[in-house]
Amino acid sequence: MAISPLYALRETSINLWRNILLTTATIITIGVSLLMFGAFFLFDYAVANATQRWEGGIEFVVWMNPEATPEQNANILDAITTSPEIRDYEFVDQDAAYEEFKDIFSDTPELVEVVTPEVMPPSYRVVPVDPNADVVEELAGQFQGRPGVKTVVSANDTIRGIQDLADRAGLFLFIGSFVLLGAATLLILTNIVSAIRNRAREIEIMKVVGATNWFIRIPFMLEGVAQAMVGALMAWGGLWGFDRYVIEEFSDPDGLELLAGFQVSDNEFFTTSVLVLGIAIVVSIVGSLVAVTRYLDA
Amino acid sequence: MIKLENVTKVYKGDSVALRDATLDIGKGEFVFLVGASGSGKSTFIRLLNREEVPEHGKIFVAGKDIAHLGAWKVPYLRRNIGYIFQDFKLLPNKTVSENVAFALEVIGKPRHVIKKQVPAILELVGLTQKMNNRPSELSGGEQQRVSIARAFVNRPLILLADEPTGNLDPQTSVGIMKLLDRINRTGTTVVMATHDRGIVDTMRRRVIELDRGLIVRDQARGVYE
Repeated sequence: MAISPLYALRETSINLWRNILLTTATIITIGVSLLMFGAFFLFDYAVANATQRWEGGIEFVVWMNPEATPEQNANILDAITTSPEIRDYEFVDQDAAYEEFKDIFSDTPELVEVVTPEVMPPSYRVVPVDPNADVVEELAGQFQGRPGVKTVVSANDTIRGIQDLADRAGLFLFIGSFVLLGAATLLILTNIVSAIRNRAREIEIMKVVGATNWFIRIPFMLEGVAQAMVGALMAWGGLWGFDRYVIEEFSDPDGLELLAGFQVSDNEFFTTSVLVLGIAIVVSIVGSLVAVTRYLDA
Repeated sequence: MIKLENVTKVYKGDSVALRDATLDIGKGEFVFLVGASGSGKSTFIRLLNREEVPEHGKIFVAGKDIAHLGAWKVPYLRRNIGYIFQDFKLLPNKTVSENVAFALEVIGKPRHVIKKQVPAILELVGLTQKMNNRPSELSGGEQQRVSIARAFVNRPLILLADEPTGNLDPQTSVGIMKLLDRINRTGTTVVMATHDRGIVDTMRRRVIELDRGLIVRDQARGVYE
């Protein structure tokens, strides 16, 4: 027996309206928890995009002494080209280093004026096969202190710091969102139980005249789903704002170069939105099903 | 129409509500269930409506053993059984016609069927003029008529009534019994639990007397005791 959409809509609206305060509290809790959940994913995507950019680029730089002998340079080059752990490298000679220096300090011509290509250290920009921070650090360490090498630097420490910070922030968002999702599930359950108790007589009559269990259950389950959907819509709006005004601000071209890749693609935003919607549906169905099976069929 | 074979119903604490009951109720019969409080009348009715399941025995309604009916089939069984409560159980926020229509709506009857059947049943119970009133605006007798209309609107084969006149004065009770008699004459089997000696003695229909779960009397054209 099919349930009339008009009947389902009417009964669901009545249930929601009868408990308007609890309904509002439930929707807000669902919205905030889904927002945190979605923000965790967007943040994770953004960090992954940023680190992928770093990992795909220069992992460490071997700065040579400008006075290094051709033999010392050849030894370092040989070590780089024969290492199975190095995927790629780029040699930046003194002229290229000087051009880069001029670009970077174009705002301070007085500094550029006192520097000449001869004082610029040439460098090898090395891309390891394995971008893992520990592997990169160990590999970079092999060049440190070798004859002709001025210093070896890598972005690892900075990246690690950012990754650690991102991991901690992500964990906080993830745990927080789960706690709130649990609270939201309980609120949906409470709201439906309250609606079931308010309509005890109607339910009794429905059972006596032969309404099927699903016919009785559906308006209550729709109540849970409706609350979750409105909450998901709120969360989606919040995520759009989070992406537009927080994540995109990080990747501002005038901001820190290291964070230039800290952004979320349209596809990733869409995936996160679908995920948030999916979680909303799961939360509402779990809350509703527990309520109707435990309190309606008893 | 209704057949019980060695039916026993035991509640928690070994309280026996119905003990080894065996009987037949034919199509179109009018049966009074009498006995003291706690004798098993309500349990008998609840078993027929599959609100309870017996520990032993078989209960056949329209040829089907409802004691072993799958849970999902119970709603379909109940569509063939009307149920009248002592306390009417009307929905206070709905009008008379909405209360009656509710019984059809929740079993998925189309709107055009509801529009046709509700006025017809309200005419049968004599409440056409009050179809837009709410239960709070009706007398006890009128409320019970609405309850009967709701139970009968789907034209069930069986009508179960659990002390339908228990909350009504004798004069109003007579009106309700006339209505039930009229419904019975359409071929509907009526099983009514009652304490009302006057009604049973006046109507002289089949009487089944229960005492502590046992059927102690089954008498055609019987009296209260």
